[in-house]
Amino acid sequence: MTPPAIVIIGGGPAGMSAAVAAATQGLSCTIIDEGFALGGQIYRKPTNPERAPAPHPRGEQLRAEVAKLAQQIQVRNGDNVWGIFDKLRVAVTSPDQHTELLQPQALILAPGAHELVPPFPGWTLPGVMTPGAAQILIKTMGVAPGKRVLLAGTGPFLLAVACQLVDAGVHVVAVLEASSRPAWLSLPLHGFRTPEILAEGLAYLSKLDRAHVPVRYGRIVVAAQGETELNAVEHAPVDAEWFPDNNRIETEQVDTLLVGYGFVPRVQLAQMAGCNLELRPDVGGWIPVRDRNLATSIAGIFAAGDGAGVAGSLVAALEGQLAGMAAARFLGAIDEATFAAARDSIEQELARLKPLRRALDKISALQPGLMSLVRDDTIVCRCEEVTWREAREAVCAGSTTYRSLKMTSRAGMGACQGRFCWPFLSRLVAAEAKCSLADIGPPSARPPLGPITLGALAPEPRDK
Amino acid sequence: MTNTADVVVIGGGAIGASVAFALARRGASVTLLDASTPGRATSASAGGLWSLGESLGLGCGVILHTAQQGAGDGPAPLPRTLMDFLWASNLRFPSLAAELRTLCGIDIEAEAATGLLYLVYDEEQERHASRIIEWAGSDHGAVEKWTPQHIRDRDPLITHDLRSAIHFPGDNQVNPMLLTEALKRGACAKGARYLAEARVRALRCSNGRIVAVESDKGTIACGAVVNAAGAWGAQIARLAGIEIPIQPVRGQIICTEALRPGTLRSNLSTRDCYILQKAHGEVIIGSTTEYCDFNTEVRYEDMCSLAAGAIRAVPALRNVTLKRAWAGLRPGTPDELPILGAAAELENFFHGTGGFRTGIVAAPLTGEVVAASVLGQTPEFPIEPFLASRFQRIYV
Repeated sequence: MTPPAIVIIGGGPAGMSAAVAAATQGLSCTIIDEGFALGGQIYRKPTNPERAPAPHPRGEQLRAEVAKLAQQIQVRNGDNVWGIFDKLRVAVTSPDQHTELLQPQALILAPGAHELVPPFPGWTLPGVMTPGAAQILIKTMGVAPGKRVLLAGTGPFLLAVACQLVDAGVHVVAVLEASSRPAWLSLPLHGFRTPEILAEGLAYLSKLDRAHVPVRYGRIVVAAQGETELNAVEHAPVDAEWFPDNNRIETEQVDTLLVGYGFVPRVQLAQMAGCNLELRPDVGGWIPVRDRNLATSIAGIFAAGDGAGVAGSLVAALEGQLAGMAAARFLGAIDEATFAAARDSIEQELARLKPLRRALDKISALQPGLMSLVRDDTIVCRCEEVTWREAREAVCAGSTTYRSLKMTSRAGMGACQGRFCWPFLSRLVAAEAKCSLADIGPPSARPPLGPITLGALAPEPRDK
Repeated sequence: MTNTADVVVIGGGAIGASVAFALARRGASVTLLDASTPGRATSASAGGLWSLGESLGLGCGVILHTAQQGAGDGPAPLPRTLMDFLWASNLRFPSLAAELRTLCGIDIEAEAATGLLYLVYDEEQERHASRIIEWAGSDHGAVEKWTPQHIRDRDPLITHDLRSAIHFPGDNQVNPMLLTEALKRGACAKGARYLAEARVRALRCSNGRIVAVESDKGTIACGAVVNAAGAWGAQIARLAGIEIPIQPVRGQIICTEALRPGTLRSNLSTRDCYILQKAHGEVIIGSTTEYCDFNTEVRYEDMCSLAAGAIRAVPALRNVTLKRAWAGLRPGTPDELPILGAAAELENFFHGTGGFRTGIVAAPLTGEVVAASVLGQTPEFPIEPFLASRFQRIYV
């Protein structure tokens, strides 16, 4: 089998669009995605269409476009890309632990983002999960995450998931949005060029209204209660910096709490490939440095979508197109004029989406009050079960960088390599040590990013 | 904050922390300068305390790899003094562990009875091993040859497809990061000052002495300086206008998810790799031995060969999940002996580097002998063979 010209990691909107753009120019592409079907998180395909909500039309359309180009686009679902080695060598392991090294001429990273959850008392109780996790349960399996559900955090994704839960017949007790109502009411000022997105948001709100699901602004969850599993949630109103007013705590009896405060770009593959990173808290944290053509600092590697800075599915699809065209240009499949024309039209569309996106980023920007919830005995690194007391003592003893805090407290030393805990832990450390997030640095990314067995690296001699 | 110290120790790894601890215990005012740099050997290290196994030249990427390349397959052991030095250092771990636990509440996980098993797969290895054991003599405990049955009784997960194993009872293990942290905090408890992220930029010299160390955390006027910068030791020495032949030697390591502690009772060494289970449950499989400047990348092919070597030794590891791979940079020297003690060129500059594969096991005694040299006392172990001046004799 000849190696593909382009390997695309991630089969969400960015990855699918990149494949379509590059394949249309006659290039062979392989999309590798850990999910069982293309779509990513946002356009996840239901396993059982009868029990799950109808798939999003934009996702269906992208899947259809990929399918039309099946001659050029190979799709590998369920496979785990766990390392990028020198010279664009991509290590992929299938669920049966068969490992291959792919060596394409260009690589497009479109791995998406994961959710951001702050540590707070009780956050590790069974019954506390992310909105994304609940979405997977509903979409792929048609399973409700619980009977009485509370959503908390910030951003429009909460509203989208709340609506899906309502459609699935789940009792949604309330949606708690940390930012104030006036901030949200100002959105139309920024979104007049993107009325279709505003309309989508209003549709969510009116559906929740009809279902009698209150959306309560300016409130955050301060603690989750329960002995062996969640049975109640404490929440409180917050000031402009999201510091809760602990005299006005309300308690809600629920069995499920979905918490999400936005997203963190999955930057580990770019990091492993040696791409330069920059710190951009406004789009989720550390991201690969990219030029106008979405090229990273390593020749032949492009980055698109939320994995290169969280901006949502519409931006991701456009960036995917641009990265696909840029890779085609890089490989000489199109000339500069063709590429420049395509880039101009994509950039115009990106510019149209920008004001609303910026306004949303501002509304949902993390505020320092969120860091005040952690207590001494709150676990801050779930893989290694490190408490804030242990981490803070290490910080006070001088461990104020990722590397040294990991060595002394084990925080970030687990299987997730700090992907889950570090976005918040780094903020806690910065506050404690009075240093900047940039000084603390991103977690290091080491192979394997996803789980593989030792056997996946040492194939058994084949039987005759 | 005072910006003077009797002694500035450059390098916050196991050696630097041990030197700082030994100096502080002797009443010297010490400032320990640390800088977290990718590839630090202490944090990359597996923490095997293999005073015999490593100095005898058995196992993968053995300490004699360079010598052996020149000398064919016969045993070409290092000077016996290294084995004696490492053995004496290793003996200090039990009391050091107790002292550090009392002083700063850290358990350095110094395992007492794991021992090291060198697995012998074929006849040639068996001949090689016998010659080396004979050379080692019986000065350092009961080195034994174990039968396959004996191995199986002790560690049933070890492959049955082997001829024998050599058992080194004193070669145990420690947690190198906790060791270093405890030594550091112990030093601070005895009055030392620790500065994190204090990369050294310059050494100010005057009249044949270093008078101050310039770092990212300020300039410190000092009476003496210890170079414990590991693989970066040559760079620090160069700041004082001195050349020492330290070269980074990369070691790549892979590590599994945590298994039930005690799954592997012995530390294992084979010609492909070493394998040891840490107190936390993870199994560490190392390591390559390669010159590649300061590059700390992990190579796919090396991960594969370490995995294959581990599965050969312990077949059940095949289905165990791999958690992480990383690489560290050992401070290597041309004769594979450490560089310790006074630099001839400057009257108050001392080395504590060149630990190569055995820096962790050497750390307790290295701290003692370097501290003694700095303070003009007689080291409890003669360090003449380890002085940097030996290289001038060779090269001049």
